Amino acid sequence: MSTIDYSVEERLVHGDRSLKQIDDAIVNPLDAKPNIKYILALGLTVTMLMIGAASLGWTFYKGIGVWGNNNPVGWAFDIVNFVFWIGIGHAGTLISAILFLFRQRWRNGIARFAEAMTIFAVMTALIFPIIHTGRPWVAAVYLLPYPNQHSVWVNFISPLLWDVFAVSTYFTVSFIFWYIGLIPDFATMRDRTTSKIKKVIFSVLSLGWRFSNRHWQHYEMLYLILAGLSTPLVLSVHTVVSFDFAVSVIPGWHTTIFPPYFVAGAIFSGFAMVQNALIVIRKIFEIEDLIPLKTLETMNKIILVTGTMVGYAYGMEFFIAWYSGNQLETFTFINRAFGPYAWAYWIMVSCNVLSPQFFWFKKLRTSIPFMFVIAVFVNVGMWFERFVIIVTSLSRDYLPSSWAYYRPTMFDFGLLIGSFGLFFTLVLLFAKNLPAISIAEIKSVSEGAQPSHHGESNHSANGTHGDGHNG
Amino acid sequence: MSSKMNNYVRKNLPAGLSKWGFILLGVGLVMAVIAYNNNPLRASFASLIGFMFLLSIGLGSLFLVALEYLAGATWSVPFIRIAEILSTLVIIAPILAIPVLLNMHDMYEWTNKAVVDASHALTQKKAYLDINFFYIRFVSIISLLGLFYYIFTKNSLKQDITGDQKLTTFNVKLSALFMPVFAIGLSLLAIDFMMSLEPKWFSTIYGVYYFAGSFWVAIALITLFAVNFNEKGLLGTGINKDHYYSLGALMFAFTAFWTYIAFSQFMLIWYANLPEETFWFIPRMTGGWGVISIGLIVTHFVVPFFMLIQRPSKTNPSRLKLVATMVLAFHIYDLYWLIYPTYSRIQSVKQNDASLISSPFFGWIEISYIILALGILLTVFSFVGKGKNLIPIGDPKLKRAMDFHL
Amino acid sequence: MDKKLYSVAATFGNADDIILATGKIASAGYTNYDVNTPYPIHGMDDAMRLKPSKIGYFTITFGLTGTALILWLMYWVTTTDYPQVIGGKPFFALPAFIPITFEATVLLAAVGSALSLFIYFFKFPNNSHPLHDTEYMKSCSSDKYGIYVEAKDPLFDEVRIKALMHECGAENVYDVNYEEDFLTAKFEIFDKKFIGALIVLAIIVSASTYLHLNKLLYMTPFNWMMDQPKVSAQQKSTFFADGFGMRTPVEGTVARGNMPYAYKGQPDEAGKYLTNPLQNNDKNLALGKAKFLTFCSPCHGNTGMGDSRLNGQFPNGPTLHSDKVTNWPDGNLYHVITEGQNVMPGYFRQVTKDERWAIVLYLRTLQRALNAKEGDLK
Repeated sequence: MSTIDYSVEERLVHGDRSLKQIDDAIVNPLDAKPNIKYILALGLTVTMLMIGAASLGWTFYKGIGVWGNNNPVGWAFDIVNFVFWIGIGHAGTLISAILFLFRQRWRNGIARFAEAMTIFAVMTALIFPIIHTGRPWVAAVYLLPYPNQHSVWVNFISPLLWDVFAVSTYFTVSFIFWYIGLIPDFATMRDRTTSKIKKVIFSVLSLGWRFSNRHWQHYEMLYLILAGLSTPLVLSVHTVVSFDFAVSVIPGWHTTIFPPYFVAGAIFSGFAMVQNALIVIRKIFEIEDLIPLKTLETMNKIILVTGTMVGYAYGMEFFIAWYSGNQLETFTFINRAFGPYAWAYWIMVSCNVLSPQFFWFKKLRTSIPFMFVIAVFVNVGMWFERFVIIVTSLSRDYLPSSWAYYRPTMFDFGLLIGSFGLFFTLVLLFAKNLPAISIAEIKSVSEGAQPSHHGESNHSANGTHGDGHNG
Repeated sequence: MSSKMNNYVRKNLPAGLSKWGFILLGVGLVMAVIAYNNNPLRASFASLIGFMFLLSIGLGSLFLVALEYLAGATWSVPFIRIAEILSTLVIIAPILAIPVLLNMHDMYEWTNKAVVDASHALTQKKAYLDINFFYIRFVSIISLLGLFYYIFTKNSLKQDITGDQKLTTFNVKLSALFMPVFAIGLSLLAIDFMMSLEPKWFSTIYGVYYFAGSFWVAIALITLFAVNFNEKGLLGTGINKDHYYSLGALMFAFTAFWTYIAFSQFMLIWYANLPEETFWFIPRMTGGWGVISIGLIVTHFVVPFFMLIQRPSKTNPSRLKLVATMVLAFHIYDLYWLIYPTYSRIQSVKQNDASLISSPFFGWIEISYIILALGILLTVFSFVGKGKNLIPIGDPKLKRAMDFHL
Repeated sequence: MDKKLYSVAATFGNADDIILATGKIASAGYTNYDVNTPYPIHGMDDAMRLKPSKIGYFTITFGLTGTALILWLMYWVTTTDYPQVIGGKPFFALPAFIPITFEATVLLAAVGSALSLFIYFFKFPNNSHPLHDTEYMKSCSSDKYGIYVEAKDPLFDEVRIKALMHECGAENVYDVNYEEDFLTAKFEIFDKKFIGALIVLAIIVSASTYLHLNKLLYMTPFNWMMDQPKVSAQQKSTFFADGFGMRTPVEGTVARGNMPYAYKGQPDEAGKYLTNPLQNNDKNLALGKAKFLTFCSPCHGNTGMGDSRLNGQFPNGPTLHSDKVTNWPDGNLYHVITEGQNVMPGYFRQVTKDERWAIVLYLRTLQRALNAKEGDLK
């Protein structure tokens, strides 16, 4: 076993490419004809998308009675999927904003891709609460506080409305963040392309970016500000989602640890999804050296940490359910673990808490097939976590006479498959048409990219001059 | 493989540190003894504040040490020795728990068999809230954390001399092991010593709440020491404004994080409005305690948040020192808010006056234990820090860390 | 056509050189110059002596505006425009408003600062800048580090600048000229293409609005549940043999809250067994009076004398002060109101049970008032 040398920083970009070659490596695959691996992957995801579209069409035509939702389980696959996909989105913002604030430079290679995944995941997630209303073409309007002749307003006290605000803000801010990051790359592509149409498209999209340092200065400041705004925002989004449950008085839903616990779970599953997608994408587009194994390993460590945090929350919930002396709480948790949905509970625990523990071992943490499988488990587990929370609590609440066992129908499964189809179709289309790796950011961390001396200013702590170096 | 930093000249700690430490310790000790003789119950509550305060500094510092190893962070290396010294408090703080342990019967309702038998909720948790089990938990958690503290610091000091990188590798592995122990240990200590003051009340987020405050105050104290020492030239070649920025940003982030956790806890209980939970907040929202609660929002959130929000203020040493000092006070304020309503309740039962439940008690007894805690803090620092290098000169990451730029 | 010089530009091969060159240009006192690098270079802001960006002030202004606006909106809606008690919370339930307030603050701060970056700081979109489409720009957007000094700089001296650039190790030095169309282009609002595009846009928008509001919203499943798999009132049913959509209730069915009348066709029985359950008080008398004036007076007259305005046009309602009626027990009167007699129809559909008894009560009062005995004066 080789020992690690802590005194030198680890290389972030491998392959010793010149700046020009970085352009080539990232942009050329976008211009090239798609390879067979790509076509196959897209074919698969589009098929899944079509399954979802058919299920959704039938749902619209017949009404949501075709789903398995029924008294007392009024929230089921639809809300499970919503929470799951919103959670997936969180990893993107974490990578692009929080790790940016912490100056984790390994994030540069994957930030763009993760941000795109955020946007697609939030789009996928948004479908579910809207179709859950049954009449989405009407509901979409009634969810917003707009002045109308009935003088009827949305209910600002309802956590469901907080969701509307949180998710739409999250989507907007993530989109702005992503787009602002893309502008310099659009400009690079504008200047490279020989196609007239692409030139027009990229000119419009790049807004006339000139790589001017007078712009870079404000640009970097804004990037920092947006990262600063996104960080509490991303926490708030899953917090608000957790409020949907936690402000109620349903046993198993009303517990104070829900906000941080949901956020940790979201990051956990989001990282697993990003890791999965990255493994596929770097294989399809053959950019293994731009997304080195080290990056994946670091992500696995984060999966391990957040998985353990989720485990802490499971334990704490169980402990306090007992400690509270509240019979309903105690019953709910016993019922989760040993009731009719025990199978779901134990899938959740084994996938979320046990499976990431393999990442303690460096050998397993750096084996691509192994980590891929574990990340799939994590996503399965996190999907089941939401299922367990939502369905078990509803299926057996206060009134034993109305207890019932929830069974999903084929349309529920169709929509679930369709959501994966939509998400991965968007991911694949993005990776083929836009630079999935930030060209400018990769350049800025490549070997010799930065001046050997940090300018002429002196960086003593008491110096008042200069506020640059935003990284 | 040695990458020791050789140009570091060890200097003595500022003389004021131990002088003030002794003065505060002496004054605090005398006052505390008088206070204890005067009113043992109240003094024990005051001592509980002091205990939880020192414990949070110790736990937060120890967490930072482990976090640095685990995350492979470089920026925090120059002041990790300060954190190591401060984490000694994990094993020193229990001194202040002695008055609490002596007066448990009056402070903690669940030690009273008649009360427990009369309440279904308390009978349910008899197995956990048991005096023997309480002692077992307390001793084992403190000694386990103390063990981690011992190994971390021993390796770090050894590395000063040998510069052996294997010690870092060992500590990295150790810190992975440390994290779950820390999470469970901190939560249980918070539940045992503070949440069980109101034994019928429960909140799953309580451990996280105490953690948020602990890390916040630890960062503040480390900032305070690091900035002061750096200005006196005690930190080798000196740390730069990007280090300051990182410390300020972390303090800022945890201001927001604490607010987030505190708000979540309050909002969920307020919204669901279940009597078995709201009874904890109702006395805190009425009368004198209501004012204290508003003050908690102002001090724990508004003031530090807006004092640190601007970029330049995170690199301004005098601003950082000011905020860090305030953070110390505000954390004590928070602990007071958590602990003292129980004392008000006990008084209102004793004196048979329902209005007392919402009236805060604060006087020289509380102040004497705060002085004592600060005295212990400074004395421990000057005693433990004496003769040590204030930066980990053997740490392989140190050179990179001193050159750290955002 | 003469070319007009925009700037003199030079590209460098590495980051150290560009920092050096920038430092020299800056210390030479030029002000209208800029650096173009494919990614931000550390230390460049110091080398160019730029002041820190002020965009943070925009963020905080927009953010606080968002906070104020949303709090005001929620305050106004929940306390003034449409106050409602929800979940036992106060109208202005501040803790419940914190999440939305936070989101609105972040939304406005982010959108506002992004827009101010483009519009105020960058003056974007700007695809007609002279630098675009030059060799210089193309190398700067890929792997070279460029610097240029504009011709409008007061100290501009082509030869000196070029010499300076070469001295610093420039790889290439360029003259960047304004493009011809850039200088001659005129801005015309009534451009044919522009007007054409507007017309096309108008047609698309109005057509889609029309289709949406008049067609789409009347198609299944978008039509507000107009098509429902159930039989409406008066609708033909293919399911039942008799073809009626509406079904008569099963025999013996009793509607909620309605006890069937027990003395159908038995006035004497009713008189014997029924007693007025209502108390003789102001409230019941007032009710009885109202109902009497509404339902009884058209035939029996306002005081029950049988002298109504319909007299002569319709079978006369008899007086209610006859001995027969006066001596009837209450139950009989109730029976007649319920079932009717002779040409009088039953009023059980219009007048509820309690109202009928109230009428009886009122009628008794009328009778007593019109045939007062001595003893009543006491």
